[in-house]
Amino acid sequence: MTGVSFDFAGVLTGQPGQWLLSGFLMTIYVTVVGALLATLLAVLLLGLRIAPLAPARGLAIALVELFRNTPILVQFLFWYFAAYNLLPRSFRDYITAEHPWAVLPVGNVLLAPEFIAAAWGLGVFTAAFLAEELRAGLNAMPRGQKEAALSQGFGHWETLRFVLLPQALANSWQPLVTQYLNLMKLSSLASAISLAELTYQVRQVESYNAHAFEAFAVGTVLYLLLGLVLGQLLIVFGPKPVGARARRRAVKANRSATAAAIVGASGDA
Amino acid sequence: MPDFSVITQNLPYLLWGRALEGQPGGLLLTLIMSLEAGVLALVVGVLLALAAWLSGGWTRRILFAWADFIRGIPLIFVIFWLYFLLPSLFGVNLPDTITVVLAIAWFTSAAVMYSTLAGLEALPKGQVEAGLSAGFSRTKVLVNILLPQALPNVLPSLVGVFISLIKDTSLAFIVNVPELTTVAGQVNNRTQIYPTEIFLFTGAVYFLLCGALSLTVHLAGGRRARPA
Amino acid sequence: MTASATPLIELQNVHKWHGDLHVLRGIDLTVSRGEALAIIGPSGSGKSTLIRLVNRLEAISEGEIIIDGVPTARFAGRELRELRSEIGFVFQQFNLYGHLTALDNVSLALRKVRGVPRAKAEARARDLLDRVGLADKAGHFPSQLSGGQQQRVAIARALATDPKIVLFDEPTSALDPEMIGEVLAVIRELPKAGITILVVTHEMAFAREVADRVAFIDGGTILELETPEKFFSAPSHPRTRRFLQQVLSPLSAAEAS
Repeated sequence: MTGVSFDFAGVLTGQPGQWLLSGFLMTIYVTVVGALLATLLAVLLLGLRIAPLAPARGLAIALVELFRNTPILVQFLFWYFAAYNLLPRSFRDYITAEHPWAVLPVGNVLLAPEFIAAAWGLGVFTAAFLAEELRAGLNAMPRGQKEAALSQGFGHWETLRFVLLPQALANSWQPLVTQYLNLMKLSSLASAISLAELTYQVRQVESYNAHAFEAFAVGTVLYLLLGLVLGQLLIVFGPKPVGARARRRAVKANRSATAAAIVGASGDA
Repeated sequence: MPDFSVITQNLPYLLWGRALEGQPGGLLLTLIMSLEAGVLALVVGVLLALAAWLSGGWTRRILFAWADFIRGIPLIFVIFWLYFLLPSLFGVNLPDTITVVLAIAWFTSAAVMYSTLAGLEALPKGQVEAGLSAGFSRTKVLVNILLPQALPNVLPSLVGVFISLIKDTSLAFIVNVPELTTVAGQVNNRTQIYPTEIFLFTGAVYFLLCGALSLTVHLAGGRRARPA
Repeated sequence: MTASATPLIELQNVHKWHGDLHVLRGIDLTVSRGEALAIIGPSGSGKSTLIRLVNRLEAISEGEIIIDGVPTARFAGRELRELRSEIGFVFQQFNLYGHLTALDNVSLALRKVRGVPRAKAEARARDLLDRVGLADKAGHFPSQLSGGQQQRVAIARALATDPKIVLFDEPTSALDPEMIGEVLAVIRELPKAGITILVVTHEMAFAREVADRVAFIDGGTILELETPEKFFSAPSHPRTRRFLQQVLSPLSAAEAS
């Protein structure tokens, strides 16, 4: 590539710069909303998955397998083109109406079909993975923990809530962070349903002034940066592994866990 | 009410595209791309794992940095980069299908490298020492003693990686390579009123493909775990 | 020690099956208020199962267990949880809650099962940790404590809800020899405070020294139930004699030399 000069000002200023900033913020919004949804749905799925009722467990297994074994892109297309239009007319009218409160900085609109389908799609897909990680963490708990709680008069729900889940959560935090980071990266595919997030805006800049290299480079750096910051935040503010509570040990575990979570962020789409 | 006649009418196109005119598409192209990218990723990933195992220090660090970089960015960006870089490297425009296959293989080889290396490093240390004391070189120990033991052990995780790869081929939709997701999108654009039927069918095809693979691993894993 | 007349625990013809395996074959046993009962026997004899039936960590297949005059075999749900919260249980493997400090391990059930306010629950937990000699370890996590310390925290935890009964399932079997003494010393104090204890143990010296009665169980039945003096000096059942010989003779041989 001799003789090629790069013009980063051409993508970082003016209209292209506006687009990229707006896309970057949109990626953050959809990641945060998707992650919250995923967490909520994962708890529900886990509840079904370990319920004493066989049909509930069967339903949870079916849902988890369904969402894990189909591409998230096809799920996006389904939610956006098919499911959204099956919603009541009045609801869709409400979504498409103007809501000043749902407009975030740089003009990103959250109450829009694209955003709802993307956040929901990311939430549902990731929930299946989160629920399985949590279940694996629960299964790895020694039997004695449950027996100790039962022997103290805890009910099944309290045993789960106060004894088993906190430890399972702490022990499987690293794979869970990997899933949240994966959600962030998968949000790039919401560009296929016209969500104006970072990937969408990178392509818009590319077709606007043909600065492909610069646009891809900025996009790549922003995704890497967001992954590093998000991973670090989740590890620092997340639960520490059980048995590594002493301050110095926890700090050490943090450092390696951050590295491992970022490293472990494989692309399961 | 769902009307699946849109599927039956377009079934040949969804399953094999224009294969009769020499342009495979739909499910057939998904399978071809998955197999091509899978074989490529397996070979490259295992070679990288061997290199990482044999080398210490900087070589190893660079290999890891490379793999982490690839896995730290969205796959779609790997595809974009290859679209941009390959023509300037080879001076010709490769067919879109090949570009996507190369990108997915590149992306997946990082996961294969990690899985294989984990399998190699999980083997008892005594295996290496026994090999070395029998006069094998480190490379020969690796190829003749460690790898044959590690590969069967990591097979379940490699199948998991392959399932992800199959799902990843759907990203070809974004660059309009006519595999299953893309042709489903085309049929949806053409007919307009049957998105539910079309995307349910598409999802079901992927589900059968990936679900069957994951079930196989599950059953085989259960059988293998028992004697231990 | 003289136990009062009304029995606190009464097992009537208790059976336990694990599938086809008949683990307990019709146990009849009465334990008085404030009594210390040692339960010994070879491994697989059903002795752990016996005490796990009392707080229903395992379901009773047949028979009745009357505690403080109330039949409990059919207890379920809330009744069962209340029963369990009135019976302490100490495990062989301690089973402290790994994510909680010693203080929180002791106070958790008080707060969440009994609804005691945090400040009060923690004050009680501190008292109990002091009682087992670990006042200075309140802020430590289980992973930072030795086996003996963990087991003493576990005993404090079992005492938190002020139980009338504490069940011990081989409380010293997982400990290094030098830590057994500190744990036994804590257990020894409980009957003096009027707490009824059932201790499944391999520590013959402890059984001899602390127990009011010793039950020998083998093949799912109680073969011998005696005061320690009679049990160790003149066991009536041949299987008991053989068991004691195996357990005690290496020791007496060592003492003789």
